[in-house]
Amino acid sequence: MSFAKILPLIFTCLFVPATLAETFTFTAIPDENESQLKTRFNKVAKYLEAELGVEVNYVPVKSYAAAVTAFRNNQVQLAWFGGLSGVQARRLVPGSQAIAQGYEDQYFKSFFIANASTPLEQSSNFPNLNGYTFTFGSKGSTSGRLMPQFYIERNMGKQVKDIFTRIGFSGDHSRTIAQVEAGAYQVGAVNYKVWETAVANGTVDTSKVKVIWETPAYPDYQWTVRADADQRFGDGFTEKLTKALLEMKDPDLLASFPRQSFVEADNADYEPIESVATAIGLLD
Amino acid sequence: MLHIASLSLSYRETRVIDDLDLSIKQGESLAIVGPSGAGKSTLLGYIYQQLKQDAALCSQSQGLVDALSVFHNVYMGALARHSSAYNLLNLAWPMAARREEVARLCAELYLEAPLQKTVSSLSGGQRQRVALARALYQEKPTFIGDESFSALDPVMAQRLLSLVKARHETVIMVLHDSELALKHFDRIIGLSEGKLVLDKPASELDGEQLSHFFDTQMATTQDV
Amino acid sequence: MVSNCPTSSIPKWRPLKMFKFVGPWQRLTLGLWLLVGVSLLFVDIEIISLDPWGELLRMGQGLLRPDFFATESLVNALWQTVSFALLGVTLGLLLGSPLALVYRSPLVAGVCAMVRGIHEIFWALLFLQVFGLSPLTGVLAIALPYGATFARVFHDILQQAPGTTRETLPFGCDRLSAYCYGKLGHVLPLMLAYVRYRFECALRSSAVLGFIGMPTLGFYLETAFRQGKYHEGAALLILFVVLIGTIPLWSRRRLLPLYLLAALLTLPKMTGVDLQLVWQFLTFDILPPGIRELLHGQQNLTQGLTRFASWWQRLTFEQALPGVGATLVLAVSALGLTHLLALLGHRFTSMHSRSKYSMPLGQLLLLIMRSMPEYILAFIFMMLCGPSMLPAMLALGLHNGALIAYLLTRQDRLITPSALYQRRSDHYGYEVLPRIYPNLMSLLFYRFEVILRETAIFGVLGIMTLGFYIDSAFSEIRYNNAFYLLLVTALLNVLVDALARQTLAKRLSQGMAVGQVSCVV
Repeated sequence: MSFAKILPLIFTCLFVPATLAETFTFTAIPDENESQLKTRFNKVAKYLEAELGVEVNYVPVKSYAAAVTAFRNNQVQLAWFGGLSGVQARRLVPGSQAIAQGYEDQYFKSFFIANASTPLEQSSNFPNLNGYTFTFGSKGSTSGRLMPQFYIERNMGKQVKDIFTRIGFSGDHSRTIAQVEAGAYQVGAVNYKVWETAVANGTVDTSKVKVIWETPAYPDYQWTVRADADQRFGDGFTEKLTKALLEMKDPDLLASFPRQSFVEADNADYEPIESVATAIGLLD
Repeated sequence: MLHIASLSLSYRETRVIDDLDLSIKQGESLAIVGPSGAGKSTLLGYIYQQLKQDAALCSQSQGLVDALSVFHNVYMGALARHSSAYNLLNLAWPMAARREEVARLCAELYLEAPLQKTVSSLSGGQRQRVALARALYQEKPTFIGDESFSALDPVMAQRLLSLVKARHETVIMVLHDSELALKHFDRIIGLSEGKLVLDKPASELDGEQLSHFFDTQMATTQDV
Repeated sequence: MVSNCPTSSIPKWRPLKMFKFVGPWQRLTLGLWLLVGVSLLFVDIEIISLDPWGELLRMGQGLLRPDFFATESLVNALWQTVSFALLGVTLGLLLGSPLALVYRSPLVAGVCAMVRGIHEIFWALLFLQVFGLSPLTGVLAIALPYGATFARVFHDILQQAPGTTRETLPFGCDRLSAYCYGKLGHVLPLMLAYVRYRFECALRSSAVLGFIGMPTLGFYLETAFRQGKYHEGAALLILFVVLIGTIPLWSRRRLLPLYLLAALLTLPKMTGVDLQLVWQFLTFDILPPGIRELLHGQQNLTQGLTRFASWWQRLTFEQALPGVGATLVLAVSALGLTHLLALLGHRFTSMHSRSKYSMPLGQLLLLIMRSMPEYILAFIFMMLCGPSMLPAMLALGLHNGALIAYLLTRQDRLITPSALYQRRSDHYGYEVLPRIYPNLMSLLFYRFEVILRETAIFGVLGIMTLGFYIDSAFSEIRYNNAFYLLLVTALLNVLVDALARQTLAKRLSQGMAVGQVSCVV
């Protein structure tokens, strides 16, 4: 791997000038509808540019892990993270802080959905899931993986691999719905907003798949900014940024996330997420 | 020029040349005859190894590079005369002077195929003349050939042999054609099962005496 | 019929004598299917999906009415797909060609097999940590495994170059000239044809790198399929198949320097590399727990080693070994299916079978199957038959079977059947099959390495191969787990490569790679 030590050296020499021009870069993956990312979020970039007075750039990424990496490598200074990825990112970049969350993210929840062929019915009691096949969303998702797994293991008193006959990771909430509807998996866990959108749009046949349980509320998506933002973009930058986010009122911009508005948040809000992730072994 | 004393050679644990004595004088033209499997090519290879500083070999396998042009295949005879940089450049960009030399040589060999044609598209007779041209282009005093005319008609073979003789001081060839051997060579040696069984001036021999050194069947199949 | 024959001339049925007719190719085939049979005992091919029709209907509608305007910066994505492939192959050639000359060294061969064993996606995920979302990540992720493949194949090809030219070269000819005229000259067209073929593969790789964030077609293709936007997905898929199908039209040798220049000029902006992070990645992130604390003086020897041992044990027995098992089972079963499908595919698309009119149709089908990324194929099958290994098997079998059948049909022109030949299965079996079979087998074994590597992709889709655990480790930001599992993957490939070489070296008079390439030319 010695080339890995030499190459960056060469490339740093070559490309440092490009990074010297201070551009504030952010990334965001919405929890539903990832099409036209650049078109949609460039509008957000333009809004921030006007509010902050620095050049703002949007970088599209494919996964939470990629967003965390970009954040850690300082390729982005601000990111719209899920609950878990935010915790991961803030652990990797000490001093970085959660500054705002979506209004809905104060009390986010997941739905457990089941194929109509199963005898499972909607209930406020945790269903007996022993012996079913089950699919999560993507591996790093808070609403599709972390919280569902936590509630399953807490309520059933054993590890998921001892409960289900087959466990899948569909990779996406709309995939989870499609696979449970098709019967590929009997039960699945899904972000409640994605489910509600799918029902509203008629892209899910509710005679074939139904909600059987919903998790208690937990905090989810949030804006996290790097610790060195003030140092790079001037004193009070983080404050100015927080204000700009909280004051984002244009429904067109908010629809990209999609959230009705942003409210204040701080790192302490996400302590429950961190302890849950540690409890199920996703964090050390 | 070359003295060989009690030479024995083996190929894959089979004795191919057995206790052979032979000496070759400079300026001589020597034909080697014998039925197939007599050890002719092995002996010729040995002779070439001894004389290679001053000799050009035109081997039976020809060693043509199918993917390269006629020009490049002939030019390969001159690789030792030029620097590697020149050779590489010439591979990508054939030099005008060399092209002219090769064209002249090919014309002398009655090779009408265009120089830029790849040898894979040539006929058997044309391929043999490209191989011959490569050996001639080495411009060495001694020519060593292994059935270099087998794919050519007798008239063409005679013409080319004259050319080879005119350009080389010493000529050593394996032949499968007794007429050619008797008419154009000073001395004929015959091999049988790895032993030297005949070594006489051509003037003292006739076709009848040579007949059992030629496997007629072999000759016809090689004509194909 | 029998009554017409004098009874005395009917030979007695002696089964033992039959074995004399079981030649080396038959034995190899039997051996292959014995292995496939064993792995089929362990493979999970349960069909689970109860009602795939709703989703399939949506897919069908998408395919019927593809939406070419749903994707933003589509032209750029198409160009970047070509550009990454071009730069990756070029850099791969620069790396691989010199290595081919020293490939005889077991060390070089071993390192190359390790590099090849790791899927482009995982190389990209590794480079992502170091270079970030920079084009360098994508280009290197193609260049490294491709370079290692070039090294091996070029070495094999060079070995097959006839040595007859050397003896006719003049005495005293320098080594470089002798090498270029006498050896390289023989095999250069073969090597160029191979590069051309690898370029097609690189286009696929380049598209697939979009799955993890490179700005190629795959970026949008994966999102569209994952989120059920089939009108957009179908359009992208059609564009991709057309891009690959029209390679001969736009990839002209003379235009190549122009393309390369354009690729360099239009490369997305490079970002700076934080050396401190690189250093941390190499000296901390990828080191196992226990060891890294030990090196950094945070734990003493016993503590460190105990922690390392428990980490190693858990990872090996819970992830690495089950992953290796599933990977091998899936790969071998897929190899069996590939064998069958390649035979069928050639039978129905060869110019020596079927009528002249059905041939283009078959060729089109082969083109679609071999261009479609396995990921998308598996995705569709997963909807059809549920999340077992079956979708992955089908996807691998169809893709590789179609590729091999396609390569074999290119050999057809060289086959001139006898005057008695009729376009029927029995005649095909006597006259065409024996001629293509050695190549089919060598291609099949050559592809095994590729199949083994491709199982990684299905890990990302949720099938518990090594790729699954590696993908999990990356998404849990546990680089040391990922690194260890990647190492296991690489070593597995070294082992399989060595075994395959040993088994085939006895049977194939010409090298595996040459078998592969002779079809491509």
